[in-house]
Amino acid sequence: MKQKSPLLQREGAKTVLSSILSILIGLVFGSILVLIVAFSSESISPKGGLEGVSLVFLGLFSTGRDAAGELAFGFNPTSIGNMLFRAIPLLMTGLSVAVANKTGLFNIGAPGQYLMGTWASLTVALSIPTSVVPSWIVWTLALLAGMLAGAIWGAIPGFLKATRNINEVLACIMTNWIAANLVTFLFDISDLKNGAEAGKVGYIKPTAANGVATAKLGLDKLLPQSQVNAGILVAILIAIGIYILMNKTTLGYELKACGSNRHAARYAGINDKRNIVLSMAIAGSMAGAGAALYWLSGNTEFFWSTYQSLPAVGFNGIPVALLAANSPIGVIFTAIFMSLLNICGTQLKNLTAFNEYITDIIIAAIVYLSSFSLIIKMWLSSRGKKKTAEPAPAPAAAGEKTGKENGK
Amino acid sequence: MESEYIIEMLNIRKEFPGIVANDDITLQLRRGEIHALLGENGAGKSTLMSVLFGLYQPEKGVIKKNGEVVKINNPNDATALKIGMVHQHFKLVEVFTVLDNIILGAEDTKLGFLQKKAARAKVEALSQKYGLNVDLDAKVEDISVGMQQRTEILKMLYRDNEILIFDEPTAVLTPQEIDELMEIMRGFAKEGKSILFITHKLNEIMAVSDRVTVLRKGRYVGTVNTKDTNKQELSNMMVGRPVQLQVQKGEAHPGETVLDVQGLVVPSKVHKNNAVKGVSFQAHAGEILCIAGIDGNGQSELVYGITGLEKASAGKVSLCGVDISKATIRRRSDAGMSHIPEDRHKHGLVLDDTLENNLVLQTFRQDRFQTMGFIKRDAVRSYAEKIIDQYDVRSGQGPITIARSMSGGNQQKAIIGREIDRENPLIIAVQPTRGLDVGAIEYIHAQLVAQRDAGKAVLLVSLELDEVMNLSDRILVMYEGEIVGELDPKKTTVAELGLYMAGAKRDK
Repeated sequence: MKQKSPLLQREGAKTVLSSILSILIGLVFGSILVLIVAFSSESISPKGGLEGVSLVFLGLFSTGRDAAGELAFGFNPTSIGNMLFRAIPLLMTGLSVAVANKTGLFNIGAPGQYLMGTWASLTVALSIPTSVVPSWIVWTLALLAGMLAGAIWGAIPGFLKATRNINEVLACIMTNWIAANLVTFLFDISDLKNGAEAGKVGYIKPTAANGVATAKLGLDKLLPQSQVNAGILVAILIAIGIYILMNKTTLGYELKACGSNRHAARYAGINDKRNIVLSMAIAGSMAGAGAALYWLSGNTEFFWSTYQSLPAVGFNGIPVALLAANSPIGVIFTAIFMSLLNICGTQLKNLTAFNEYITDIIIAAIVYLSSFSLIIKMWLSSRGKKKTAEPAPAPAAAGEKTGKENGK
Repeated sequence: MESEYIIEMLNIRKEFPGIVANDDITLQLRRGEIHALLGENGAGKSTLMSVLFGLYQPEKGVIKKNGEVVKINNPNDATALKIGMVHQHFKLVEVFTVLDNIILGAEDTKLGFLQKKAARAKVEALSQKYGLNVDLDAKVEDISVGMQQRTEILKMLYRDNEILIFDEPTAVLTPQEIDELMEIMRGFAKEGKSILFITHKLNEIMAVSDRVTVLRKGRYVGTVNTKDTNKQELSNMMVGRPVQLQVQKGEAHPGETVLDVQGLVVPSKVHKNNAVKGVSFQAHAGEILCIAGIDGNGQSELVYGITGLEKASAGKVSLCGVDISKATIRRRSDAGMSHIPEDRHKHGLVLDDTLENNLVLQTFRQDRFQTMGFIKRDAVRSYAEKIIDQYDVRSGQGPITIARSMSGGNQQKAIIGREIDRENPLIIAVQPTRGLDVGAIEYIHAQLVAQRDAGKAVLLVSLELDEVMNLSDRILVMYEGEIVGELDPKKTTVAELGLYMAGAKRDK
């Protein structure tokens, strides 16, 4: 029988370990940053600095301050629920980037695909009257519309890459800005703008206005006073689906073969052009689904005048995917982690004298360091090699005829 | 007192993480000799030369020049010691003239202005003296490979180097050019220059060298006088076991036509002309048909046209009587075509994927490997184990080894196993032994002969003259995109083949 290699030498274990290590390094770095700010700022006492550090690590379990003015920790359903809810779009854009990466493409077009998905899903959800069509059907149609819009928007750079060999990064950046302007225009001429409520100028009506909202499936009972809904379950299911697609099917095999060596794939009779378009379309549909799952929650309100900016959640898919080493299952966890950082940042801002900008810097530092996971993985591998260097020549010597050591 | 040896590398040891590339290697180069350095790929030849050039520092051992210990910390030190090298892949500036390339890095200047007159006179004198014919004012991109090599040699001479290292210099040359180069090398030796000649071609060693040092797997095997040894002994030293140098094969029994190519025209990717200009031929069952020619005369494009990797602009390709001229690559493959590609890293393998996935690169869609689009991992695994076992593919972790981590010979064995196992009537093998060591070459030749004997048509494209002469049953010579001759390897000589390859002779 095949022998199993020791845990730490398995590829998967190394990947997970390196991601965890880089997260820890990031958190420690963030804490140091907090301390530096605390010691150099007159308005923050050293104690405030330590409180900041504790929130960096334990922000999720912060329950505010107790009567004595000390930080209190415990189960905080609101934080956990919101963390899960905000993880949904990150998870989907992370999947989007990961799928493209697995097939050798860099999808930096997730923001544009996300915007197109937003427009398509909101338009469908708000335009089909639920008095005629059952609301769950409208919800499903809206999700599919979002995915389709994202897929089309992703397929455009894929098509240009496949047929004209135009770098997908360039094409993605172009399509991002086209989407930002197009979506603003399309909402501007629509009647979906929220004119009814005061103070809601510039927003699209929440889908609850048409009676469409993602089911809660009792999650709101579990985690009361939070935005959580079944969208996170849908997102996790999609991630598992992508994992199966990429690892268990002939289509995934073709996509990956094209991604790692387009020439070899062509040589083997695989239609490389079709597969490049297809993988960008799948990537786009993930970003589109992320938008749909977020805006179909019922109470989220889209600020439609987006022509000057791209949604950060689209770009944040990149670190989510990187940190997960492009594993669809890993993306579930890294998306939740990124969302957790966000919660920690909010708590830091609300409970201490640190302002929101310092929390953004800390998050950025952690994300930045997370990209070191590859380096850490290489380090782990080289350590593993040294340790196994001694027994290794034995099997090689057994077949000495033409077998050679790798390398020169 | 002058030492017997001009350069000595004594007990050199160089380690890389996890591997000893040079283990106690000694190489002593006499003044005025041609010394061949022989070894398989990965034997440590390149590492040893990099140590001599100061690119690596050895962990142990010393380098002596004229009996005195010298320290070579970087390539500039090597140049100062008058060591020069012609690399396997030339280091020339394509858009510069030959003269500019020769003086590059050793220019005479006056007040910051180039002084080319004296340089030109010196280069002309050198090229006269050694019969190194070059056009000093031609741009490197416009001249032949042979002339580029002569430019590289002149570069060394211009710097008054005493120790000349030639790294696999004959790989790109025609037989006639090889003879010329040998003559030039003998001339240098006569002048008192010392030559290190790195190669794995035994014929050339026997023809030109005085002594041979053999390396195997990073270790020193021995140094022998060329006149006291023979090819068989050298190859046994190099491989470490007796090797079959001659291809063992019986009479060919050609059967019906398997591949029929009529008037095939394939455009070139690099220039405006067609790379293949109306080629017609047939390959029959039970024969090894070889397309010979110097690299870049349209052989690669011919194969692209037949396999569908490149669109042919005219002509007809039939496989077993079926017209496949317009078929997709997959349909051609399914119609009965196996293809061992020229570039195993570019086309042959998905290097970052596992061995087992690579072994089903074409066949993963067959019902035995998938149901409803889901890959049957167990079937793939057991199939991979079968191929690995049958074709003796050695790898670290068996089916789940990443292809990139395997040695070149085993990568090629995996490809050959995959292509042969598909049991197609036509096997196209393009330079199947390129860059491989003697042991692997022996194995691959035997496999191709076995396929021929099993009634397959084997279309072999090769640049190696030995391979062309020994392996094939029929030779077609390609020159500038056309087939200029059909030869019978039993009735022709290497010299005649060379004339066809160089375009000096052609069938009417």
